[in-house]
Amino acid sequence: MADALVIRDLHVQFHTRRGVYKALNGVNLRLRRGEVLGIAGESGCGKTTMGLAVMALLPRNASFPQGQIIFDNKDLMNLPREYWERVGGRFNPKQNERILRRVSKAMGRIRGVRISMVFQEPMTSLNPVLSVGFQIAEAIYVHDPALLARRVLARTRATPSQMPELLAILGATRDDEAAVKEFAAKHDLLGIEDQVLSIWRRDDVHISRKEKAIRSLAGQQIRSLERNIIETVTRTGSIPPKFSRVPVLSRVVRRVFLKEGYRKARELLTSLGIPHAERVLKMYPHELSGGMRQRVVIAIALVNNPEVIIMDEPTSAVDVTVQAQILELVKRIRTSVSAAFIVISHDLAVLAEVSDRIAIMYAGRIVEVAPTDKILRNPLHPYTQLLISAIPTLEGKPVEGIKGEVPDMRALPAGCAFHPRCPFAFEKCHEIIPIDLTHDRDQLVACWLYEAK
Amino acid sequence: METIKEEKGRFDEWKLSARVFFANRTAVAGLVIFLLFVGDAIIVEVAPGLVGVQYPESVVPPLFSLTHPECVNQAPEPPSLAHPFGTTQYGVPGEGCLDVLQLVMKAIRIDLAISLFIVLVGAAIGTVIGVVSAYIGGLLDEGMMRVTDVFFSVPFLILALALGFVLGRTVLNMAYALIIIWWPLYARYGRSLTLSTKEATYVEAAKAAGSGRLKIMFKHIFPNVVPPVLVQISLDVGTVVGIFATLAFIGFLPSNALVPELGALANIGLNLAPLGYWWTVIVPGGAITMFSLAVNLMGDGLRDVIDPRRRS
Amino acid sequence: MIAAYGLSKFFPIRGAFRSTISLKAVDDVGLKIQNEQVVGLVGESGSGKSTVGRCLIRLLNPTDGEILFDIPDSEVVEYEKARGEAETKRVDAIADRFSLLRRSSSELQSLRRLANIVFQDPYSSLNPRMRLADIISEPMLSTRFCSRAEAEIRSRELLHEVGLPEFFEDRYPHELSGGQRQRVAIARAISTNPKLLILDEPTSALDVSVQAQILNLLRGLQEKHGISMLLITHNIAVVAYLAEYVYVMYAGKIMEWGEKQKVLRDPQHPYTKALMSSVPVIGETMTRTILRGDPPNLVNPPIACRFHPRCPVAFDVCGWTAEEVAEDLEYLLAGKYYGTFGDAVRVTTEGERTLTIQGTADAHRIRELVGLENQEVRSLKSVQAIDVSDGATVLRLYEPVEPEMYPAPDGRQVKCLLFRPEVSAPAADG
Repeated sequence: MADALVIRDLHVQFHTRRGVYKALNGVNLRLRRGEVLGIAGESGCGKTTMGLAVMALLPRNASFPQGQIIFDNKDLMNLPREYWERVGGRFNPKQNERILRRVSKAMGRIRGVRISMVFQEPMTSLNPVLSVGFQIAEAIYVHDPALLARRVLARTRATPSQMPELLAILGATRDDEAAVKEFAAKHDLLGIEDQVLSIWRRDDVHISRKEKAIRSLAGQQIRSLERNIIETVTRTGSIPPKFSRVPVLSRVVRRVFLKEGYRKARELLTSLGIPHAERVLKMYPHELSGGMRQRVVIAIALVNNPEVIIMDEPTSAVDVTVQAQILELVKRIRTSVSAAFIVISHDLAVLAEVSDRIAIMYAGRIVEVAPTDKILRNPLHPYTQLLISAIPTLEGKPVEGIKGEVPDMRALPAGCAFHPRCPFAFEKCHEIIPIDLTHDRDQLVACWLYEAK
Repeated sequence: METIKEEKGRFDEWKLSARVFFANRTAVAGLVIFLLFVGDAIIVEVAPGLVGVQYPESVVPPLFSLTHPECVNQAPEPPSLAHPFGTTQYGVPGEGCLDVLQLVMKAIRIDLAISLFIVLVGAAIGTVIGVVSAYIGGLLDEGMMRVTDVFFSVPFLILALALGFVLGRTVLNMAYALIIIWWPLYARYGRSLTLSTKEATYVEAAKAAGSGRLKIMFKHIFPNVVPPVLVQISLDVGTVVGIFATLAFIGFLPSNALVPELGALANIGLNLAPLGYWWTVIVPGGAITMFSLAVNLMGDGLRDVIDPRRRS
Repeated sequence: MIAAYGLSKFFPIRGAFRSTISLKAVDDVGLKIQNEQVVGLVGESGSGKSTVGRCLIRLLNPTDGEILFDIPDSEVVEYEKARGEAETKRVDAIADRFSLLRRSSSELQSLRRLANIVFQDPYSSLNPRMRLADIISEPMLSTRFCSRAEAEIRSRELLHEVGLPEFFEDRYPHELSGGQRQRVAIARAISTNPKLLILDEPTSALDVSVQAQILNLLRGLQEKHGISMLLITHNIAVVAYLAEYVYVMYAGKIMEWGEKQKVLRDPQHPYTKALMSSVPVIGETMTRTILRGDPPNLVNPPIACRFHPRCPVAFDVCGWTAEEVAEDLEYLLAGKYYGTFGDAVRVTTEGERTLTIQGTADAHRIRELVGLENQEVRSLKSVQAIDVSDGATVLRLYEPVEPEMYPAPDGRQVKCLLFRPEVSAPAADG
């Protein structure tokens, strides 16, 4: 399928003592594989809620009366929606909590592994009492210990005589990933290609040192107990209970895997452009600067090769110069990683830098989606136009605010939610909610102005 | 000009608070019991005749004493229709034994009044001291904290007893003793509230506006300190009733004191209980317990109202 | 009309036993705001800009420096001349009349009529338990600007002036949105007809569409009342919209200042250049100067020019220490040049200007290394001499020079040694 994620008519409501807030009112979104989709909107439009909904991280007073989130051909919102239909719209916090917990469990294999999220505040998303390396290593260990096991196994199986051949391939094919992988597969050494390539691609190390390092990968000695563990995990794909439940044994298992996790973490940090990765791994979050922390958080999100990465305001908490670093980083990783990105931000300029397409949200709906240059050059929806004209530029062109206020999400206006503030509103806007209309092939607008006559 | 947000009265907040409070059933139960006690106190104060209470200030009619030869040492009677909670020792000539229910009703009023007095005075003194010392800071603050440390380090019962013996063992003196024990708590509480309010941006704005230190303390710090302190006061009334009754119970008040007080009553009853007259100790003791429980439950409800997260 | 000279603010840090170290939040900052002028103060977090703003109205007391308030231009000229000629008596005389720092607390209270501040966070800058009318009246009453009755009337007028309906006077802050609250904060700040308004990130907490309204409001008020403003922000577009002059701050010091158009369109200081190229602009993909590293620790800031560790065009006297060079050298020797020198080399430092590479006496190769790498690794530019002694190679560094504010040809001032007039085109090869 060409789409990594599809959201169809998603409705999310928050039940509070002050009333029911309709946070999302029919969101339609298609995230194509490998693309970067930017979601823009002001506070209260529901963009963060949407990201959390995909990750099933919503609090217990959230209900899902309608809609689907389709990932890998499965609807993630099945359970809560059915529950809602059964209950007939009466909200019971305890029941709802139970349903959400079940959804959470079902998401266990997806969250962090196939869909991961980067939050706004890097300081609060990292555990302050654990070293940064540990947190990355743990992320792999928990979700994909088999990956780590394969790496160790590959190193034990590799013989010193195979290494020169590998080095030759690296030199000849200019470190072509496929060639290395082929070699590994041929010699039953799958798991070694990442390690080899990451050493080879370092540009701060002399080539003789790189060769030495690659050669030393081969022929690692391993104790029989550890070998037993590694082989079992590689075979079964996860850590069997007989290892994780037994007291002393489970510690040994953890140690083996975390050690390997640290190695992978170091490779990952280096590939993200963090110098002195070995030192950084041992540090604690508060010892790192904001930009570094954000990079660590991005590393954790990337570590399991997810298919979708959601970034919620990744640059809002950092300075402009650090923001530039992070945007460069995002632009670089998207070329080397096959994941699709959703970048949520209130800053259109940031999204313009990194996104292929931009979606504008207002009052819980997506009002316009189009490729970046199109939407900026020729915004169709009145809200988009007003939003762009409100952004001050360096030339000092006059800026205009938008009259009125964001609507109360408990009592949305009838018809188009934007009509009270829209300079072009007419009768139909007051009555019927606009549907998504296609304009010029790849631009979608939810506005009656563009209804084809 | 922007369009105006729809008229949302300030009373919406009160309605919301009420809804939050009443959603908690145990808190409501606590409130009901609390109101019963308060109601009793008010009625006995205002119109004792309504509930048939005579001479509300004293256990026995004035001019009599408990050991008056004419007070006949009669055997207490168990609960019956005439005396729903039974009677206790000592009687009044011509009237029979003292009715426990009457005694308890009188005692509740005294206890509540005393506790309110203690907590209010203690809170007033303590809060002012705490706020001023925290706002001025420096050596004053340090010194004040050491003083409160001293008070905290002495176990309160011992302190109360010592003070009582120094001042004399009367109800009023006991109250003074408890005030002296209680104010450091409010000093600490007021201080911590002030420290957090002091850093608020609007205090900085007030400084920029030219407001002097005194004005800032009164217009900005106190109004934000007082509401949480009020909540704490209402919770402490229950605790203090318990402490006060405890002091009386262990015999702090001279046993021939004529003031009806729950603890003293329980003390008297304690002597009678082994003889089989259980109601003389259970009823006053139960009253103390019920009140403390009621206040605690109410406190839970109040905490729900205040804590913004539990509100939603 | 308000001039600051040599303004410094150090915050003492409680060490383990003695508080001898301090955080140098603001170090030797000079600033001038003319009558009816809007000056922008731009910088990232930790640059000290908020601290400068607060010092200017004495919400914080500066550790050092002078602030002359409400001073006519002629006297400023006098003052600077006297300072230049070290005529302390004349300096003192002028300072006595205009210095903000010499005012007693009672004088200060009435001076607060003339200057006020709008804070960044509209949600915490208004007392939640006060009516809007009371909030707006507070400056008027505290500085005895007018009577209570007059203040009530004026509050209503001010509400109207900032675009809020007059019946809002009885409302409380929590009933208002962020943008509305900020308007109230602005009404409060202008209630005593101040001559100077400090705006500390006034729109950073607001949505873009609301920000536009507030910016237009500020512009309107400035034109109508002729208030001087110091606009402190990290958002360069906001500064571009409102300010006439721009000061750029980094790590507690001013790096560049001048007319807005010139500084923003044609930045001269390397930091300003990097800053301007980092700002994402819709519709333009630009080549960026990505700065490596992070803003410095202000407890032990870099020597001489505070920007030198990250500066892409730093050169020999910008302030490199032996430690900084040693670190970079070690990285190169262990990495790229491992093949040439092997494992046996070690770098040690002696003092601030000397470092020794143990384990090799091949000064020629080292000189080659330095020559090859010093475009990328700027610290190597500070190597003055390479000698051999005792079988080790000794490198001596140039003496750093503290940059001053140097005038640039178009009237602005830049604190960068690239603009030092007495030395002709130094080894700065771009």
